[in-house]
Amino acid sequence: MSTQRYFRPWSFILPGALLGIVTLGYPVYRAIFYSFHAVTMRRLGEPVFIGFENFTRLFGDHLFVRSIVVTINFTLGTTVFAVVFGLLIASIMSTRGIRGTLKARFFMAFYLVPFVTTQVVTGILGRLYVWQSSYGLVNHLLDRVGISGPSWLTNLDTALFATVFTNGWRMTPLALLIFYAALATIPDELVESAEVDGASTFALWFRIKFPMIRFHLGFVSLIILTSAFREFDVIYGLTGGGPGRSTEVLSILVYRLGVAQGNMGMANAVSVTMLLVISVITIIAVKAGKLGKMSD
Amino acid sequence: MSTINYKLRKKVSLGTRYAILLGWLLFCIMPIIILVMASLKPTSLFQTIPQILSFSGFTLENYTRAFRGGNFMLYFRNSMIISFSALVVVLIVCTPMAYGITRLPSMRQRNIVVFSVLSTRFLPYVVLAMPMFILFRQIGISGTLSGVILAHLAMQMPMIVWLMLGFFSGIPIEVEEAAVIDGCSPWQTFWRIALPMVLPGLNAAAILALIISYNEFLFAFFLAGRGTQPLTVGITRFVGGVDVGAQYGVVAAYGSLIILPIIIFALVVNRYIVSGLTQGAVKG
Repeated sequence: MSTQRYFRPWSFILPGALLGIVTLGYPVYRAIFYSFHAVTMRRLGEPVFIGFENFTRLFGDHLFVRSIVVTINFTLGTTVFAVVFGLLIASIMSTRGIRGTLKARFFMAFYLVPFVTTQVVTGILGRLYVWQSSYGLVNHLLDRVGISGPSWLTNLDTALFATVFTNGWRMTPLALLIFYAALATIPDELVESAEVDGASTFALWFRIKFPMIRFHLGFVSLIILTSAFREFDVIYGLTGGGPGRSTEVLSILVYRLGVAQGNMGMANAVSVTMLLVISVITIIAVKAGKLGKMSD
Repeated sequence: MSTINYKLRKKVSLGTRYAILLGWLLFCIMPIIILVMASLKPTSLFQTIPQILSFSGFTLENYTRAFRGGNFMLYFRNSMIISFSALVVVLIVCTPMAYGITRLPSMRQRNIVVFSVLSTRFLPYVVLAMPMFILFRQIGISGTLSGVILAHLAMQMPMIVWLMLGFFSGIPIEVEEAAVIDGCSPWQTFWRIALPMVLPGLNAAAILALIISYNEFLFAFFLAGRGTQPLTVGITRFVGGVDVGAQYGVVAAYGSLIILPIIIFALVVNRYIVSGLTQGAVKG
C-alpha cells in the first residue's frame, strides 16, 4: 500500500531500536564475550582470552550439573503448579451462575494479589511466617490435623518443594486470569448442546474445552516457564539458594560465582548457557506460535 | 431427563463452587494478612499464628523502628525515581516503536523486527545484569541511580513494545489513511489519531511497567550502591544486618510498608492490569 510508506515507520522505530541495541544487544554481546575470558574483580579491565575453558570447567563441576537439575525441577514444578491450579479455579469461575458476575470480578481482583506482591518480600514472608518450622503457617495447619511438619527450609529434601510452592503461589494468578478469559469465549450453546447429547464431563473437557483453549495453554506455559527459568527474587528472599545449594537455580549460581566470589568469566559462562536454553525455547515457541495464530 | 439431572447437580453445587473460590481467596491473601498482622504485634517475642491473628495487643513500635533504623524514606525515594524515570523513557521510546512496527509496509520486514523484539522478551535477567555489573564499573556509573534505570529500560522495553504491538494492530489503518489524505503528517497521524485510540492499552502498559519496576530486585541488587538502592534491596540488607530472630516484627513492618501500597494500587487499577495481562493471550 502506497500510503503505508508515507507513514515513515522506520523513523518511529529508530529511537527504540537504538536504545535496544545499547541496553539489550550490547550487554548480551558482552556476556558472550566475557564467557570466553578470565575476568576477576581485581583485573576488571583486562580480560584474558581462555577459549572454552570456563565452559569445560563448568560442565566438569558436579555443582553446576546439580544446579541445572534444580533449575529444571523448579521451572517445571512452578509451571505444573500454576497451570493445574489456574485451570481448576478458572473452570469453576467460568461456570454459569458465577462467570461475569460482580462476585467473580471481586474474586479475580484479589486473586491477582500474589502476582503483584513484591517478589523478594514474598520470599522473606515465606521464610519468616509461612515455612518457618515451629511458628510458621504451614506447620501450624499441619499441627491441627495431627501431623508434625518438617523444618521446610533447613531440610535438604523439602526446601525445593517449599520454593516451588511459593513461586507457584505467585505465578498461578497469571494462568488463572488467562484461562478464565479464554474459557469465557467458549459459547454456552456449544457446551449445552454437548451436555444435552449426554457428553460426560471428561468428554466435555477433552473434546471441546481443551481444544478450544489449546493456544492459551501453550501461551501460559511459555510465559510461566520462561519467567520461572529466570526467577531470582523469590528464591533469594526465601532460601538464598540454600540449604546446601538445594535450591540454587542457575540465576542464583550466577550471582554467587560473579558477585559473591568475583569470578565473572565463569558467571557469564553460566548465563550464556541460560541464554542458549532460552533461545531454543523462543525458537520453538515462534514455530509453534504459527499454529496459535489460527485462533484469532 | 439428563438435562434435569444436570441442572439439579449444578444447583446443588453452586454453594460448593463458591466455597472453593472462597478457599482460594484465603490461600491468596492469608500470607499477606499474617505479615500485616504480625507487623502490628510487639517485636519482643515469637508469635504463634493464633497470637498473630488475634485482635489484641496492637502496637506501632515495629513501624517506628522500621522508619528509624531502615532508611525507609531514602529507599522509597529511590524506588520512585527508578520506577518513574524508567517508565517515562520506555513509554516515549517504545510507543512510537510499536506503532512503527505495525505500520511497516512489508510482512517480511515486520516479521524480522517482531522476531528481534520477541527474542529479547524471555531473556534471563542475569544475562544482562552480570555484564552490566562489569561494564558499569568501567564507565563509572556503578552504584548510581542512572545505572539501575538503564537496566530497568532493558527489562521493560521488550514487554512494553510487545504489549503495544497488540494494541496498535487492533486499530484499523483506514482511519489513519483518511487523516493522511486530509493532510496530516506521519507524526500528527500518530499523535492525534492512533495514540488516542490505544489510550486504554497505553494505561495498561504503563501500570504493568510501574508495578514491575517497583517490585524489581535483581538489577538493583547487582547494580545499586548503598545510597541508591530501592526498597526491595533495602529490606534484604535490613534482614541481613540485624538478628532476625528478635526482629521479626520490624521486618514484617518493613515488608508491609513495601507491599501494601502496590497491592492497593493494583486493586484500584485492576481493570487495566486484567487487560494488560490478557493482551496477546486472548486476542492473539
